[in-house]
Amino acid sequence: MTHVGKSEKRVDALGKVTGETQFPGDINMPNQAYMKILFAGRPHASIRRLDSSAAEAMSGVLAVFTAKDVPVNEYGLIMPDQPVLCGPGSAKQYADRVRFIGDQVAVVVAESEAIAAQALERIEVEFEDLPVAQDALESMAEGAVLLHPDRGSNIFCQYRIRKGDVEEAFAQADVMVESEYRTPPQEHAYLQPEAGLGYIDDEGRVTVNVAGQWTHEDQEQIAHALGLPVEQVRVVYSAIGGAFGGREDMSVQIVLALAAWRLHQRGIDRPVKVIWSREESILGHHKRHRYVIRSKWGATKEGKVVAAECEVIQDGGAYAYTSTKVLGNSTLMCTGPYEIPNVKVDAYSVYTNHIPGGAFRGFGGPQGAFAAEGQMNKLAEKLGMDAVEIRLKNVLTEGALLSVGTPLPEGVSIGKVVEECAVRSGWKRSGRGWKKPARKRLGSPEEDHLRRGIGIACAFKNVGFSFGAPEQNTAIIELHGKERIEEAVLRHAAAEVGQGAHTVLAQMAAEALDLPITKIRLVVSDTAVTHDSGSSSASRMTFMAGNAIRGAAESAMEKWHAEERPAVGIYQYRPPPTTPLDPKTGKSEPNFSYGYVAETVSVEVDTETGHVRLLDVICADDVGRAVNPQLVQGQIEGAVVQAAGYALMEDFQEQGGEVRTVRLSTYLIPTVRDIPERVESVILEYPDPIGPWGARGMGEMPYLPLTPAVAAAVRDAVGIWFDTFPLTPERVLNALKESETP
Amino acid sequence: MATHKISLTVNGVLEQAEVPSNMVLLTLLRERLGLTGAKNGCAAGECGACTVIMDGEPVNSCLVLAVEADGSEIVTVEGLSSESGLDPLQEAMIEVSGTQCGFCTPGVLISARAFLDRTPSPSEDEIKEALRGNLCRCTGYVRIVESVKIAAKGG
Repeated sequence: MTHVGKSEKRVDALGKVTGETQFPGDINMPNQAYMKILFAGRPHASIRRLDSSAAEAMSGVLAVFTAKDVPVNEYGLIMPDQPVLCGPGSAKQYADRVRFIGDQVAVVVAESEAIAAQALERIEVEFEDLPVAQDALESMAEGAVLLHPDRGSNIFCQYRIRKGDVEEAFAQADVMVESEYRTPPQEHAYLQPEAGLGYIDDEGRVTVNVAGQWTHEDQEQIAHALGLPVEQVRVVYSAIGGAFGGREDMSVQIVLALAAWRLHQRGIDRPVKVIWSREESILGHHKRHRYVIRSKWGATKEGKVVAAECEVIQDGGAYAYTSTKVLGNSTLMCTGPYEIPNVKVDAYSVYTNHIPGGAFRGFGGPQGAFAAEGQMNKLAEKLGMDAVEIRLKNVLTEGALLSVGTPLPEGVSIGKVVEECAVRSGWKRSGRGWKKPARKRLGSPEEDHLRRGIGIACAFKNVGFSFGAPEQNTAIIELHGKERIEEAVLRHAAAEVGQGAHTVLAQMAAEALDLPITKIRLVVSDTAVTHDSGSSSASRMTFMAGNAIRGAAESAMEKWHAEERPAVGIYQYRPPPTTPLDPKTGKSEPNFSYGYVAETVSVEVDTETGHVRLLDVICADDVGRAVNPQLVQGQIEGAVVQAAGYALMEDFQEQGGEVRTVRLSTYLIPTVRDIPERVESVILEYPDPIGPWGARGMGEMPYLPLTPAVAAAVRDAVGIWFDTFPLTPERVLNALKESETP
Repeated sequence: MATHKISLTVNGVLEQAEVPSNMVLLTLLRERLGLTGAKNGCAAGECGACTVIMDGEPVNSCLVLAVEADGSEIVTVEGLSSESGLDPLQEAMIEVSGTQCGFCTPGVLISARAFLDRTPSPSEDEIKEALRGNLCRCTGYVRIVESVKIAAKGG
């Protein structure tokens, strides 16, 4: 292979280092107007009256649009439970309510951003406040105030797993561990705040140029809300300034399309531009879900886990977004990559007046892994057994049954991944089993109030959409030339969110066509000229696009040999089908592919300040085949540091539905000063039998084990288990003080 | 609002503009001069995406009034490369994939350039100190630091 496996330079690197690359906010169109959005500004209320006449009358204001202007006033990736604009006057039931602080109420289009901002203040809104639901546990109780009265309950999704008999198994267990884990929300904090342009293109299509993760889904959501056929809507992505799941749902897409379309209907054909401020971005898009996970696990004295019982409660916030799918992952992953004969899981998604929970790297996996790995590490400790030893006694193997009663797809490598990670981190194996590195290997702290420790965790994560969700990816390859192929055009919708998707697409096309990479031209991320690729999410794009590209290349080459010019191959890849969780037992074929990962973390805890410093992070990740090893390393390092933020510093403060951390000076993400001393990427390549060139997905996997590994390392250092985080100095110091009190 | 006539050198070119008192340098660069390399990530000096060099010093251009830049010499990411080629930092950034989404990249490169101009042979710790005002959410910084090390050695 000449292209797959090679660290080709990024195809977008030159534009990005010279400043030529244009993000949506960098694009200006002739005669453009500017949009500002009126946000709810309160977490729960019904809108009694909305009067925009004073704003509309202002000089320089082109239009104000409210709920009554939205043809079909609803949207949602999984279920359409969110109004595009909240307020009276639309046909959508209960659309007159705002349910979180960032609900959108009205949009102003004006000659300048300043005029639009002034006009927002002239919109009169009479709110009648409603009780605020800010706790998922309270919200799921009988008699709680309903966020969506048409639904009869705040529980909007429920899964259960029943495998074997946990009660009977607990009775035979030698040791038990019971814990309640609480995981915090997390803000994506991609550097590029939401922005975009809406306009009518040359062919009369309502067009939105924006940064998202799935052009064709954005197109569908817009078409639905505008009551237009999808062909009349076009979505184009310019450069995308980070995403991490945070651009999977709608932010500015529908309102930009709405404004351009309604202006057009009034005879005004002007592009409309919007750029969100950082505050608007933080208030306006979803967050990683908060969870409460109650776990009770039992094991034999030989270290075999015999039963696991988990209650999983997810705070979905005000609207569903992708919560139900995220919950599916947590339901599967809360018992870890282990073969446990008896499992009982009850999982719930619950509405509250928090900012909605939604997609964020790991997609329910990190929360599940925090609980599962915490349980495993505590069981090991209780049994006096090494943390690697107990894992290897329990990890899933080829043919072993998951909690949902079916085996993993072929190519199960979690055992080998854990071993490799352990060996690289100084674990030794002898006749008596595995043993963690001696304390002196961690090095000596400079002062005696500094304590060091090491911890390990592992995880599995699906590649691609799960639980019966439709899954496909389509590639088009056109071969141009006469005698020889002069140029190969790859048409593909994949969102380049920074991960390197476009580079990897070009590499895989070059490999499949046996051409130099310089002969591949990419035409990407525009619904007008590409077919649906699905989203850049679920660690799926390399896997899915690779298979589609291989099919398209084969078809194009056949036509080339049959003398067709240009030779055009179109191929839709469909992976093996998956199935939803059975409502009673949870039985399902959840996924068609997985990635496997293990991490060790060593830490230094300052017992005087509570500060936790990361020393070494060693990540062993089975990526199946590293199409571009350098980009794989970039994903591992980026995921580790993002997870380090989640574990140690990112402290999203939302009380009574109000957010106190709307800036990057109050919501702190890691700077270059906060990264581990060393991040070692151990790239393993156990091929996935159905992956392109053996590749699995890998963008999310390195994120999952970090937080539980940090928790284990902190326990090793100072003797305290933290079942909630972030491990801010304040939290750690308080716990240290408490542990000293007799 | 009162306006002011200012002149400044941007990437070696003398520019003149009439700006309102409250316009920041970032807006002048992006909206008047069409230099969109410097980014607006927070408008409050918290992320560093808007960093430009002003008279040899890296500044958050979202916190500098355009009138304060009167008479100054500004370098933006567009001014890093020349006809003779890319800046060694840009080369190194491409070489080790120090850029992912690329939104923070212009600010990072500018901070690093201003730093290397003063500190040609830095330690890793000094590199980190110089870049602590530039947030990146994608790379985990490892390859950014690596890029600066490579550029310092070669440049």
